[in-house]
Amino acid sequence: MSRYRALLGATMLAVAAIQPAGAAEKAEVLHWWTTQSQSKAVKVFADAFSAAGGEWVDNAIVNGDVAKPTGINRIVGGNPPTVMMMNAGKQFGELADQGLLRNLDDVAATEGWQASLPADVLAAVSRDGHIYAVPVNLQTPNWLWYNKALFEKFGVEEPKTWEDFFAVADKFQQGGIIPLAFGAQAWQQHQLFNGVLAGAGGRDLYMSVFRDKNPEAVKGAEFKRVAEVYAKLRSYTDPGSPNRSFNEAASMVITGKAAMHIMGDWEKGEFTSAGWVAGKDYGCVLGLGEQNFLMDSNVFIMPETRSESGARAQDMMARVMLDKDVQVEFNNLKGSIPVRNDVDTSGLDACSKIGLEALKDPGKQLAGPDWLAGADMLNSLADVVVEYWATPSETPEQFAEKYAAVLAEFQE
Amino acid sequence: MKQGSIRWSVYAGLTPAILIVVFAYVGTMIWTIGISFTDSRMLPVARFAGISQYVRLFGSDRWLTSLQNMVLFGVLMIGISLALGFLLAVALDQRVRAEGFLRTVILYPYAMSFIVTGLVWQWILGPTLGIQETVRGWGFENFRFDWIVQKETAIYCVVLAGIWHAAGLVMAIMLAGLRGIDQDLWKASRIDGIKPWRFYLHIVIPMLRPSFISATVLLSLGVVKLYDLVLVLTGGGPGFSSDVPAKFVMDYLFQRQNIGLATAAATTLLITVLCVLTPWLYAEYFRAERPKE
Amino acid sequence: MTAPIHSIASTPIGEGPTGSAPKRFGPARLGIYAFLVISALFFLLPLYVMVVTSVKPMAEIRAGGIFALPMDMTFEPWVKAWSSACTGLDCRGISPGFWNSVQILIPSVFLSIFVGALTGYALSFWRVRGANLLFAVLLMGAFLPYQVFIYPLVRIYSATGMFSTIYALVLTHVIFGLPVMTLLFRNYYAGIPIDLFKAARVDGGRFFSIFFRLMLPMSVPMLVVAVILQVTGIWNDFIMGLTFGGLANRPMTVQLTNLVAPTEGEIAYNVNMAATIMTAAVPLVVYFISGRWFVRGIAAGAVKG
Repeated sequence: MSRYRALLGATMLAVAAIQPAGAAEKAEVLHWWTTQSQSKAVKVFADAFSAAGGEWVDNAIVNGDVAKPTGINRIVGGNPPTVMMMNAGKQFGELADQGLLRNLDDVAATEGWQASLPADVLAAVSRDGHIYAVPVNLQTPNWLWYNKALFEKFGVEEPKTWEDFFAVADKFQQGGIIPLAFGAQAWQQHQLFNGVLAGAGGRDLYMSVFRDKNPEAVKGAEFKRVAEVYAKLRSYTDPGSPNRSFNEAASMVITGKAAMHIMGDWEKGEFTSAGWVAGKDYGCVLGLGEQNFLMDSNVFIMPETRSESGARAQDMMARVMLDKDVQVEFNNLKGSIPVRNDVDTSGLDACSKIGLEALKDPGKQLAGPDWLAGADMLNSLADVVVEYWATPSETPEQFAEKYAAVLAEFQE
Repeated sequence: MKQGSIRWSVYAGLTPAILIVVFAYVGTMIWTIGISFTDSRMLPVARFAGISQYVRLFGSDRWLTSLQNMVLFGVLMIGISLALGFLLAVALDQRVRAEGFLRTVILYPYAMSFIVTGLVWQWILGPTLGIQETVRGWGFENFRFDWIVQKETAIYCVVLAGIWHAAGLVMAIMLAGLRGIDQDLWKASRIDGIKPWRFYLHIVIPMLRPSFISATVLLSLGVVKLYDLVLVLTGGGPGFSSDVPAKFVMDYLFQRQNIGLATAAATTLLITVLCVLTPWLYAEYFRAERPKE
Repeated sequence: MTAPIHSIASTPIGEGPTGSAPKRFGPARLGIYAFLVISALFFLLPLYVMVVTSVKPMAEIRAGGIFALPMDMTFEPWVKAWSSACTGLDCRGISPGFWNSVQILIPSVFLSIFVGALTGYALSFWRVRGANLLFAVLLMGAFLPYQVFIYPLVRIYSATGMFSTIYALVLTHVIFGLPVMTLLFRNYYAGIPIDLFKAARVDGGRFFSIFFRLMLPMSVPMLVVAVILQVTGIWNDFIMGLTFGGLANRPMTVQLTNLVAPTEGEIAYNVNMAATIMTAAVPLVVYFISGRWFVRGIAAGAVKG
């Protein structure tokens, strides 16, 4: 950890130069990064913030579904946390519209975000041309992770397409290994489906669904194939999947009970805490099929505060979170990719490098569903997807019909 | 004036209750109903949207499923609990040994929270740990008991846990009712040579009508408020096949942040309950205050 | 026989059985016993599973499932569940939740009973304008789903800075406990001879002095029932704690659901079940100690759902 200390020292000096000495700026940070690896990552921010002369008051809430409404209610009620975690995209739009979030244009201008952050990311943290959130990473939910030892034992190659995947999965099934670890919670099911949609359905179909909300698009053969692939995945999971959390599914891969798992970058945190190394113990394939990177980003919003010291703490936090060294350190622990495009990426693991390559190719970049559509539409789609998974008798046609009906409801 | 000051002290004593009723009950209720006619999403806004939330609500498969589940749960849980509770009370009333012990065993689930009830039944019914796994471990490799992960049957697991929780309550109410029946009636029936089952069917059950009514009322309250049990037992799944209205509202209020739709659902629930409740409450509490003679 | 709720609350399970006297141990009696024994097994099964699993090492659970008797008994899961099991980063076991629940419980029980008794007293002895209306709304409140009130309450608490504090939680328990408490005490006081009250008035008793000096001391049986009811109800509460308590004040039930949610690796069923038993322990102890009083309490309080 000596490298880490040096880094902190550097940050401290850098920020101390900007910040006049005085009382520590206090910032209450509300987030829901609570697994072991996530907490280690968030500690990078906390330490850097303290090193810069602030006081980090950690408010970690176990479940995002509880944390988010708690934070929103406090913001609306006029008793906001200083800084709160969110997802990029449309989620915080309503808060910004009602003037509850601080406009971060000034910090962004002085820190030169325009130059150092990808345009798509900036767009995803903006509302009506103003910046309202600090993006801290880039990640994609559609990685296939696999247990390398099991792959060697069964003598199979890593799959690149869905056809490959099914061939590999059959082998594992015959050998008595659960081919696909899966947790049938709504968010995991929907995320898996969107991965299939992008990978097996292709970027055009994906965009006409999430960006154009075009019900006609899902009536064709491409969508039918997506629906078939998704339904077929069901037969490769085990009966214990309902309500299973993602990290429980990850541990099935680690223990060798299951061979593969489709999940976001944060899966690596679980592997790392089990002592696994990317490329050695586990392998990764980005987006089976078209291999798209579905851009998603964790962001922090800064609610409007009445106190000046609160605003100072927020500015400081924004600077600290996007500090080059902090970005690298944080993302290495989090398993995601630094959001700045001007940092040293040589320390990234094998899988993140694949992601980084994909991000350099505009043909492989896709904005994540959250960046394109509102939560209401996505949740309604999730209902349809979840129901489809739970109903083996539902045909792809019936499913497409229901899916189209939701799109029609939200089409502008 | 003394009289006046006394009246003021009565109002002072009633102040907490008045404040609670005005703000926490009536005020919030009006607020909720109000929001349900706007197109609020994450935050309440005052944009009037007519009944569009209600239209959307009743076009939602998930809402219809949850209503259906509430009715199914209500009918089965109440029906079976009443039958089981009554039979248990009758059986316990046959001068059995260890009555006190049995009574304790049958009633203790009612002291448990729905969280505990849901968790423990989830472990017992879950296919990878509970009954199915155990029976398979005995050598019956193909034994299947996975109701909780099947869409069609998950709600019956909720019913089962509900019965486990509530049957003891019915037993206690029925036993109290049975013990309240005049001893002479039993003697008379014996002298007349009436068969015991006939006696129970034609005389005891009609006499226990008030007990049946209060048991039904108590149980149906649990039906409308059913939330925690479903949350931990099935999470409303698989899919949303075992969802219930209270959970629907909570999900849309806090996770999905669509408070317009959530309040429309809450209002629908409110109206349903009021329709059933008002006549009963009126009959029970207010008519009775009039002089009967 | 007016309100059924009241009638149950005041009718204990009677002295002796009324069913036909046992003749000989014939097939009918065998049937009765079989029915009772099988039912008892059904009701005991979950408790058995929890107790047995909580004292087994994980290896035994993996090998033998959750129904087998423990071979190598250990109390380590209990220790772990109490003081070192993790929810997220917090590895203090379920004990913080226990103490939170205690902290919530004491003021909530005290205040909700006090306000309920006072309101019930005012409503049954003092005729003031609007009393009937007040009572009617309160009654409705007892029956309506919480979901109708919850969102505005969240906003009210947020606006007053009470959200996520123990005050909000206590106040919420007072609010939602009021209907049943009022009902209990109103009906109880209705059974007290009005002449007693009139005599106190003649002696110069005022509203509060009659309540504190005469009525409260006379209400001991109802107070016992109310305490049983509120302790059980508030301890078992989940939805209020989840919605209003916030991180620092989450009651034991909420913490239990967090604790059993798997975070790392294999699920420790033995620890989870030990934690579950601990969460159920307080109401169970109340139940076993209070016996017949408990029956009155839960029957009366089931209105709360």
